[in-house]
Amino acid sequence: MILTENLTKRFGGKAAVDCLNLRIPPGEFFCFLGPNGAGKTTTIKMLTGLLHPSEGRAVIGGYDIQQDPVEAKRVIGYVPDSPFLYEKLTGREFMRFVAGLYRLPDSHVMKQGEHLLELFGIRHVGDELIEDYSHGMRQKLSFASCFLHEPKVVVVDEPWVGLDPKNIRFVKDYLREKTREGVTVFMSTHTLSIAEEVADRIGIIHNGRLLHLGSVPEIMAMAQRPGSLEDVFLELTQGDET
Amino acid sequence: MTPVRSIAWAKRRIAVHSIASVRKESKLKVGVITFCAVGFWIGFFFLFKEGFQWLLDFGSSVGGAGRGIGNIILVRMLGVLMLAVFVMLTFSNILVAFSTLYRSREVNYLLQAPITFRAFFISRFFECVLFSSWALAYLGSPLMLAYGYTTHASPLFYAASLLFFIPYIALPAGIGSLITLALARIFPRLHLRTMILLAILAVSLLFLYWKNWLSAQRLSEDTILPALLDMTAQTQSPYLPSYWATRGILAGASGNYGEFAFNFLLLTSNALLIVWIAAETAQRIFYLGWSSLEGRERSRMRLFSQHLLGFADTALRGVPNPFRVLIVKDIKLFWRDPVQWSQFVIFFGIMAVYIANLRNASSHYQQEFWRSWIACLNIAACTLILATLTSRFVFPLVSLEGRRFWVLGLAPLSFRQLVWQKFWLSVTTTSLFTVGLAILSGFMLRLEPIYFALSVYSVIITNFGLSGLAVGLGTLYPNFQEDNPARIVSGMGGTLNFLLSVVYITLVVGAQTVILQSRVLGLYTNDWMFYTALVLVLVFITGISVISTLVPMLLGMRNLNHAEF
Repeated sequence: MILTENLTKRFGGKAAVDCLNLRIPPGEFFCFLGPNGAGKTTTIKMLTGLLHPSEGRAVIGGYDIQQDPVEAKRVIGYVPDSPFLYEKLTGREFMRFVAGLYRLPDSHVMKQGEHLLELFGIRHVGDELIEDYSHGMRQKLSFASCFLHEPKVVVVDEPWVGLDPKNIRFVKDYLREKTREGVTVFMSTHTLSIAEEVADRIGIIHNGRLLHLGSVPEIMAMAQRPGSLEDVFLELTQGDET
Repeated sequence: MTPVRSIAWAKRRIAVHSIASVRKESKLKVGVITFCAVGFWIGFFFLFKEGFQWLLDFGSSVGGAGRGIGNIILVRMLGVLMLAVFVMLTFSNILVAFSTLYRSREVNYLLQAPITFRAFFISRFFECVLFSSWALAYLGSPLMLAYGYTTHASPLFYAASLLFFIPYIALPAGIGSLITLALARIFPRLHLRTMILLAILAVSLLFLYWKNWLSAQRLSEDTILPALLDMTAQTQSPYLPSYWATRGILAGASGNYGEFAFNFLLLTSNALLIVWIAAETAQRIFYLGWSSLEGRERSRMRLFSQHLLGFADTALRGVPNPFRVLIVKDIKLFWRDPVQWSQFVIFFGIMAVYIANLRNASSHYQQEFWRSWIACLNIAACTLILATLTSRFVFPLVSLEGRRFWVLGLAPLSFRQLVWQKFWLSVTTTSLFTVGLAILSGFMLRLEPIYFALSVYSVIITNFGLSGLAVGLGTLYPNFQEDNPARIVSGMGGTLNFLLSVVYITLVVGAQTVILQSRVLGLYTNDWMFYTALVLVLVFITGISVISTLVPMLLGMRNLNHAEF
């Protein structure tokens, strides 16, 4: 469902992402970990077509994001870490707007849009302007709009900012449920306990290079000393930093 | 719904909610803005009407062939105005397209949606047209009404003007967007040195062109009419869109429907063609340009700017902290924002053209009447440039601190100190440009010592008044949610600041004009009367400058002390 071949992005002479090769099948929950500045957001921007790779390619749902961007984007749902929302639209208007971008019929917005607003607990504020929303409400609206077109691949960049524990649990469970329906989830996060809990596989990127790739037990086994994923992550990324 | 229609629908809803939110604004602010906007519109109408009437009478008296010559001059002037508007719209669209297509946060959001770059461009293009053309609608409507009124045009003239308006704004918007698309594709790949050389070359060529075009010969009553017609002949080229629009509107007004339809279709088809070419170009090169801009190498730029910023840091060594760090921070943020820079460069362009044209102005007018008028107009020009500087660059300074109040608010620094720091920064930097401009223009116009001193004093004192207005109103009506200075300025507070700045300048320049013109007209029987009036005017402009500085500053500081973040 997500395939990257030698995906590389250079800013000037420096490679922010260097020859990234990934193959993530349908229904997998993939967590992408790495220290600050490791290349996670640059990778996500290339997967979603927001950045043009210097070399290599990314294929989403069978579509090359560079060759066939419109079809590839049609199967992607993206939740950025600080989502852009139109402050002077209401939540319900924003859902209708997103539906228009994806060419969804009005009936779909009425049914699925209301269902998602309800599911994410923001239906009661659906007619209020987004400028009056709290940070958490904005994040929930961003999630609700992401699932409006029923994407096959969901790319999530550090989604937990602003969400309370109850909502973190809800989003986590919802994403897991979606993977069971065959949706591929690509999540970048620093919250290692959540990654340990939900991930089918983990990729650790550092200085633009993919250092380790495997299931949680496989990653844990790579460490010299046993411990939590946090201990293992620190051990695996510390060596390169020094 | 298609994506383009969906975006248009969302924009419409945003406009509706924005208009509705005006109810939340201070009634005094809305009232003053409405009053000033309507007042200025009426003022412009009368100004244009009187100007057109003067041209009509002037043409008739000089030409000696009745009103026929006057009418010819009026048609030529309409052509000049249309061409000037076209050029300004093209430049304005280059800048607006850059921020709308490449720099807006919305771009990232829209680009991850499944829409073609063509559709993306078209949806953003409408926004470009709107942003760059609203001022034309505001200033153009009294102009066309005044023209129609003076020439006793039929109602068809107004209808034709309205009809031509849309293709006439779409064409420069298409050209401007095309240039921006090309620049964004080419420039990120160029070395800094090449970019600077190209910029210098372009500005020099433009400067030379304007200088030659504007430099008139020594004029007398016998030669002024042929010279005027010769100067405006370039606007009569059938290849210019301004010519099509002028011809079409005038043909419509006189009932010549064939010529009207021909010119309208010519303009519309060209506008559609350019927009289509721009959309197809966007489909092919927008993404590559945008991606290059996102990932361009910044190290060379950083190295270049570090030397200049390091110099500023060293030069301010004597200033005590925290003022020094605040000033250096403001300079660095300004320096590193290319959108701010691009607009600042335009100010230099305007100043350069103004100065280039002054050399001619001084030698043409030997009479005292004209010399005193030129002195007054020079003060008006200098202070208007200053007002534009403070409205555009100083007003947003406090608002831009909004998201940084977590650091400024917790620092051992009072808001009073912060606001005064902005004020002194503004006074110092704007004085560098405008007092220099006043001195230079005074020398070039060979002003008498008394006019010279008055010009320089007026510009110095208005630096305080306008900075006080801009910082004070920027603190009284801040927009802490917005990071984009251009958007902060275009809000209600920014509009109010600009309008009050113009009112203040009108009072300052008006007071001086009255006493200088009274002197020329011989209304003072002796020098003592003139100097008494001069002192009174100086006291008056100093007084209103103190009020313009202190009242908004104190109100703004009180507002900031009560603000919650």
